[in-house]
Amino acid sequence: MIFDLIQNTFDGLAMGASYALLAVGFTLVFGVLRRVNLSYGPAIMIGCYAATWVSLSFHSNVFALLGITILGSVLAGTYVERLCFAPHRQGSAIAAMVASFALWMQFEEAVTLVMPKHLYDFPPMFDGDPLAFGPLSLRAEALVMLSCALAICFALHRMLYRSRFGLAVRAVIDAPLAAQLAGINVPRVLLLVFLLASGIGGLAGWLIASTHTQVTPMLGMWSTLKGLLAMMIGGLGSLPGAVIGGLALGVLEAHSQWFLGPQARDLIAYLLMFVLLAWWPRWMTTQSAS
Amino acid sequence: MSALLEIRQLVTAYGKIEALKGVTLDVEQGSITCLLGPNGAGKTTLMMTVAGILRPKSGSIRLAGEEITGRPPHAIVAGGIALVPENRLVFPNMSVLENLQAGAYQRRDREIEADIGKLFERFPRLKERSGQNAGTLSGGEQQMLAVARALMSRPKLLLMDEPSLGLAPLVVEEIFRIIVQLHQDGVSIFLVEQNAHMALKVAQHFYLMEQGKVTFSGTPGALAEDEVIRRAYLGSAKA
Repeated sequence: MIFDLIQNTFDGLAMGASYALLAVGFTLVFGVLRRVNLSYGPAIMIGCYAATWVSLSFHSNVFALLGITILGSVLAGTYVERLCFAPHRQGSAIAAMVASFALWMQFEEAVTLVMPKHLYDFPPMFDGDPLAFGPLSLRAEALVMLSCALAICFALHRMLYRSRFGLAVRAVIDAPLAAQLAGINVPRVLLLVFLLASGIGGLAGWLIASTHTQVTPMLGMWSTLKGLLAMMIGGLGSLPGAVIGGLALGVLEAHSQWFLGPQARDLIAYLLMFVLLAWWPRWMTTQSAS
Repeated sequence: MSALLEIRQLVTAYGKIEALKGVTLDVEQGSITCLLGPNGAGKTTLMMTVAGILRPKSGSIRLAGEEITGRPPHAIVAGGIALVPENRLVFPNMSVLENLQAGAYQRRDREIEADIGKLFERFPRLKERSGQNAGTLSGGEQQMLAVARALMSRPKLLLMDEPSLGLAPLVVEEIFRIIVQLHQDGVSIFLVEQNAHMALKVAQHFYLMEQGKVTFSGTPGALAEDEVIRRAYLGSAKA
């Protein structure tokens, strides 16, 4: 029993690490632009499909595929930013969100037109058995994922507080008008933040696809939902919160699946979000972006 | 000899409503020029248009003879105009030091640290609070920080939008002392001010703006002579 609990927690943390990475990218965009990008997951899916196509057409190693996934996600992200977010900078947040929903549909249609099978194999990161720790086991991918999530969170924190670009990002978050008056090219900062988030999303997408060794068109919706949920649990707009929210979501899902069955898994997660929104709405508004 | 800032027939509109209806004025090199006018006259709109935040519908803005109309705000700052905005607008969750660093964002030279040191000499209270978040400063200190941040871009022309707004009289006097010092150091200043009494002591040229148009241009002497303006802005009959 106790080993089951620990094993479940391990599995949950492994899954949660991928949610954490997704949530970090989401949080970066939300924290700086105050806009929800529903196309975040679908853009990651585009990156994964690009890598799948390359791996089916040529023999390429897994790290080349990582590069292609990131590149694909960043290109798709640029398209989303130019079409949905750049035109609505001063305008309505809802308009940007709905526009990003339209691009989500566009991305899903595009991949099913080009690659119509429901499921494609994706090359795994490692071959071989999971690592064993006595009666417990942990997949090596999970360790990679967890270290990536922590490393990226740490690197972003350093970037925000130690670099010239980070100073500009925080200035834009703090007072956008004053940032313009201080000589900061605000549209450029926003675009770069968006591309950085897309790149982190691409990394997350590659980790997820090579852990699951498959991609489907559902990956887009899945990434958006999990990222959004983890970001909300983490308290909207805080980077450490996003990581903690992602890990908490993973652990919660693993345990509810064990105790209540696979159907309850998502139900419990959405229930938690409902409870947070209904009884503790301030949780979502008190965090600052950094 | 042309002026440092030349504004010609400037029209800025919010939708169909024109807030500036063809404004023409000059700010001479090395002067303190003051813009007076009632609320809603378009003074802040003019400042925001010169700073590049608002795009004019027509007209021209030249800095030292160079056309800058329609440039984005960061290019205007790089070109040598810095605006100290109404209500100060410091970065509240960043330290005083970081506020100053942000003001130098356009610069790539090695003298940024030295300039911060000089500004700390000029504003010792900012030095004392350099690690403190700007949001925790008093109104007067925030105003000094906003001025210091603008100076970090080494502007040829400093625009100030109502620097005395909401400050206690003693603090207002201090702000005006700073304005005079900056002027003596060679900075040209274009000032929007409701406090005409204070402005009369420092400015060399005045403009009055009403309903989007310049309705008076002249020296402090001429301003004080004008019966209508005196009643409206100086609030008393001639002594």
